Amino acid sequence: MIIEKSSEWKEGFTERLENREAWDNWTLYRMSYEAVKTNLITDFNGLQSPKYLPNLTPLAHQLKVAETVIERMNGKAILADEVGLGKTIEAGLILKEYLVRGLVKKALILVPASLVNQWIEELNQKFHIPAMQYKKNYDLNHCTIVVMSIDMAKRSPHKENIYDQEYDLIIIDEAHKLKNHKTKNYEFVQNLKKKFCLLLTATPIQNNVFELFYLISLLKPGHLGNYETFQSSFSVSKHNVEHDDYLKELVNQVMVRNRRQDTGIEWTNRRVQIIPIDFTQEEQEVYDLISDLKNVCPVFSDAFSMITLQREMCSSKEATCMTLTNMLQKCIKPEDISYMEGIIQKLMVLEVNSKAEKAYEIITDASDKVILFTEYRATQTYLQWYLQTKGITSVPFNGQFNKNKREWMKQLFKEKAQVLIATESGSEGINLQFCHHVINYDLPWNPMKLEQRIGRVHRLGQEHDVHIYNLAIQNTIEDHILDLLHVKIGVFEQVVGELDDILSAFKKSI
Amino acid sequence: MYPQQIHSYLLQFFNENNCQVLNDNDHYINVQLTIEMDKKIMNRPYYWRYLESTDGEPNPAQLTFITDKNRLVEDIKGEVIHFGSPRLSQLFQATKEMGSFVQMYERIVDKLEPQTILTPWLAVNYKISYYSDQTKEILYSLGINLMTGEVKEEFQELLGTVELTSTMSENTFNLPYIIKPIRALERLDGIIDNFIQKADHTWAEEAKLRWQKDRKVLEYFYEGIENKPDCYETEKEAMDQQYEARIKIDIINGGLFYLK
Repeated sequence: MIIEKSSEWKEGFTERLENREAWDNWTLYRMSYEAVKTNLITDFNGLQSPKYLPNLTPLAHQLKVAETVIERMNGKAILADEVGLGKTIEAGLILKEYLVRGLVKKALILVPASLVNQWIEELNQKFHIPAMQYKKNYDLNHCTIVVMSIDMAKRSPHKENIYDQEYDLIIIDEAHKLKNHKTKNYEFVQNLKKKFCLLLTATPIQNNVFELFYLISLLKPGHLGNYETFQSSFSVSKHNVEHDDYLKELVNQVMVRNRRQDTGIEWTNRRVQIIPIDFTQEEQEVYDLISDLKNVCPVFSDAFSMITLQREMCSSKEATCMTLTNMLQKCIKPEDISYMEGIIQKLMVLEVNSKAEKAYEIITDASDKVILFTEYRATQTYLQWYLQTKGITSVPFNGQFNKNKREWMKQLFKEKAQVLIATESGSEGINLQFCHHVINYDLPWNPMKLEQRIGRVHRLGQEHDVHIYNLAIQNTIEDHILDLLHVKIGVFEQVVGELDDILSAFKKSI
Repeated sequence: MYPQQIHSYLLQFFNENNCQVLNDNDHYINVQLTIEMDKKIMNRPYYWRYLESTDGEPNPAQLTFITDKNRLVEDIKGEVIHFGSPRLSQLFQATKEMGSFVQMYERIVDKLEPQTILTPWLAVNYKISYYSDQTKEILYSLGINLMTGEVKEEFQELLGTVELTSTMSENTFNLPYIIKPIRALERLDGIIDNFIQKADHTWAEEAKLRWQKDRKVLEYFYEGIENKPDCYETEKEAMDQQYEARIKIDIINGGLFYLK
């Protein structure tokens, strides 16, 4: 065993014995001893950090997570609480504990660019941890606790500078962004030295179970075996898993997950419903024409653009029109061009948008603040116009907005407008507890996106039941999306654990 | 540490360092730093270097510390100090630096007794820290009689029961030590080493088991791969650092004590 000793005190003592320096003050001597005694860490177990944080009252489940991660998981874990339960607080507690115990001297915190400021603020104010934001040309040797965006970190020369450092703890927020092992992000994190490491995500599986495999392999390679053994021992395919109890057990050794209902806090209910909508005859006609495109000409047979078009048609003619016009420009044969132009003409004369009307109806019935999520910018603009003609005020929200504009829009929504119309990328890191109606105007492929959206309002501080309306047009691609969402939720629950309602109050068995 | 304890700590600290407390309202204090204290805790070496090179008039800082925010009714701006605030750990550190070595004499009040003989002791306060992926600390306060070599534990507590001064009282004299202080220090170091050897080290065994388990998992992942990638070595190195058992011995402070 290594024993470290310093002869510093002995040297100072000799100086005094030989009258080269003066003796110190007895009161300070006693105070120093008392201070060390009060700060003494008397046990390997238990948390020291709470007594250093008089201004923070962590919730019971947050303390338990910190303890479990440190004592049972040896400081390497996925923190996978449901959205809104305070994963940042848990990570802060763990970091603080390691700092207090002297086990962590340097820490690196990688987060999406939009959350950098939030992290710096929380660590400094709630945890008194002097975290700083990394800027170009900073010398990492002088930054002990540093927060930076992962997109910056993975690029040269920052990447090399980071690799040169010895970090004791690495925290990665929104870690589901590492689900794809072929990305630069993944490779970058894989090559980082991870002594203690926390991966934060409410949604460790987004689409399929391999994502969880890759996430865990990043944290603890081999924990689920290598790719081949993982696949064969659990008979894994994308949406199916066998021996799931055993797999769940393994996963739980490296992952902590609290559900809202486990926290002992009174949560308001989620009232989730699927709202089926019928197209008008005219809309259906255009939809069918679009679906038929692939039979008309091989130019249109690309499945991806076909599905995109169908989904857009379920959203708004504005969204559809853009894609169709782009496709028209690629057409060469006169008959293709005229077929396309025919569709566009039929599309443009449509006067009714059944889905928008339904949304308007819901907003009127709610007569309260509503967040509406759409997948398309064109639909966002259209809906803003449409609601305005009906006398309803709304503000847009996009991920591209900078911090000030985000805050400004949030403020406008809170004080002036009735509806916030957000695109997908707007659903990260904003908290809107003052609102409790969510319309999913378009359905995403990924159920976890729905969970993230709902998490904006259904979080600590929400006082009302939260109403979620999932709009789906019958006899269209949206039926298929609904089915797939059910399957994916099923896989998630098999491996990770139960999910709060996101699609409907009734679970389909798979 | 409760707000009240922190408050008295600050008061005492500044008093002992000759910093004038201008205002003491039991939940906040206002203090005028001395030049020495300003240099020690204000972290502005350039100001002082500039001042000294230009022969300017020194203007050490005046600080307000709020020790109990909840009881603050006055409109006062200042640094909020609580257990865990960086300022307090800075003051702890300053205390440690300024209270490391003492030479103290037991105070003799009984003037009727003809002469009192004081025996020299060396006292040392040790902190032992165990590190793996977890930590624990133990405090040892030892005293050794420089005449006989007798060793006492919990010596600091014992000193708390005696009245001590930095100068020898009248009519007392101290015995010259037989064991040289440096030699005695070595003997105490040896006792600490002995404590550590005899102590229960299941914590280190357990850390080793955790380490082996993690190592096995890692090997399994890269089994059969001939040219293992760099991240394999990196992972392995991280594990070594995470679980390696280490023991650190620190001396908090110590000194010579002449006791009856």
